[in-house]
Amino acid sequence: MIDWAAFLVVAAAALVSSAVVVSLYSLGLRLLTTAGRIPTVEPAEFTGAITVLSPARAAKDAKRARKALKANPLTDIQKSVAQYGGYLCFALCGLIVLYGVYLIVPALHQ
Amino acid sequence: MDFTLIVALVIALALIFDFTNGFHDTANAMATPIATGAMKPKVAVGVAAVLNLVGAFLSTEVAKTVSGGIIKEGDGGIQISPEMIFAGLIGAIVWNLITWLRGLPSSSSHALFGGLIGATIIGVGAQAVAFDVVLAKVILPALIAPITVGIVAYLATRLAYAITRRDAGKPDGRGGFRYAQIFSSSLVALSHGTNDAQKTMGVITLTLIAGGYQAVGSGPQFWVVACCALAIAIGTYTGGWRIILTMGRGLTEIKPAQGFAAETSTAATILASSHLGFALSTTQVASGSVIGSGLGRRGSTVRWGMAGQIALGWLLTLPASAIMGAFAAGLALLGPIGIVLDVVIGTAVVYVLFQWSKRDRISHDNLHDIDDAGHVVKIKKTPRKPSRKDRQKVAL
Repeated sequence: MIDWAAFLVVAAAALVSSAVVVSLYSLGLRLLTTAGRIPTVEPAEFTGAITVLSPARAAKDAKRARKALKANPLTDIQKSVAQYGGYLCFALCGLIVLYGVYLIVPALHQ
Repeated sequence: MDFTLIVALVIALALIFDFTNGFHDTANAMATPIATGAMKPKVAVGVAAVLNLVGAFLSTEVAKTVSGGIIKEGDGGIQISPEMIFAGLIGAIVWNLITWLRGLPSSSSHALFGGLIGATIIGVGAQAVAFDVVLAKVILPALIAPITVGIVAYLATRLAYAITRRDAGKPDGRGGFRYAQIFSSSLVALSHGTNDAQKTMGVITLTLIAGGYQAVGSGPQFWVVACCALAIAIGTYTGGWRIILTMGRGLTEIKPAQGFAAETSTAATILASSHLGFALSTTQVASGSVIGSGLGRRGSTVRWGMAGQIALGWLLTLPASAIMGAFAAGLALLGPIGIVLDVVIGTAVVYVLFQWSKRDRISHDNLHDIDDAGHVVKIKKTPRKPSRKDRQKVAL
């Protein structure tokens, strides 16, 4: 029969590791955004799943975004703490991904 | 029939199977980054192909048995003859092509198991199939893996949105998840290469050993590794665009945060399961996590009709490829003339399926203009091609 113990370990390990990776990366994005360095990544290609806004609506959004940025209550030091905190999150994420590569390649751990 | 010829046929069919395995599974890694525009379709399949090629060389720890215990082979069991492997491969390849034509992601390894089971039942008898192992290794994981990983992906998506949530109007920087998607999907592609190419290497190596061309217990020869790696990489690069369409847009509309959460859950689950020796199907894990991430984002809908079709495809995979494998094995029992008939019929079926696919060609250049994924789901029409001005104002 199915090995339920092994299955539970797999489920728990998957849950914890993906939660940690996703949280770290999201936190990194959040910190960068807080620091006023909003990461904008243009889609490489416009797909059906991406909605293109009308120019008027987009201009309105951009204006609100600028206004919100100007009202950033953080001091410069706080901003750079947030920024480097964000980079730290990304670095930790990268390390976990490298550990994933280490697990994939048997030559590295046998 | 000359033994050498049947060995050559098995090797050729194994490589064709490897090819279909590659293009069937491109979607597992690359459907979500293509759907969110993290990578251009051609770039995405190129990256996946290279990583599959590299992955195939990285891990040459091939299976000790062809069927992974599903058929009682080895000591005290039966010897799976090249004719049976040949018949099983025909069943698996035909089923892979049928599911591809329908745009259904389905497990290539299950198709191979199904083909082998069918061939064994005809060639040896039903007593040679370990049905308890089939239940524990194929059927139960197929039920619980997508649900488990769906829950993981759901929670990961909720986390990603909760952490990046800001007041309305403030930029949330969620477009930044596109960079992360490149890495998470690459990880899935690499782990696919280390897992799936090994299966074909195992089949070829065991056939060579059975034919006395290679010492018992020795590993795959370099040309076997190289051929398998190339076959899976070329297959991946060819891209099963129909399945990419289903996974990327047919199940739910994917945004970058969802895509990242889904791919991370897929990679984490596959890595954990293969590291702990609890094999799960990449395809089922990836589909489950796409559905989970679809449930996790507020305001997104999962197309359950499509999900049901996919689940039905999984249910049918084992019996359908078993029936085709059994049919091929029945013909192969006739002797050389049967093998020739198998080859002729198999080629004819593959030819017909390809001609059929030309009626509605789906490829990297028209991927995003298609309204109808696999003829089953309606998808919102693609907006007009945006001008450069529009591109700067796109909602991320």
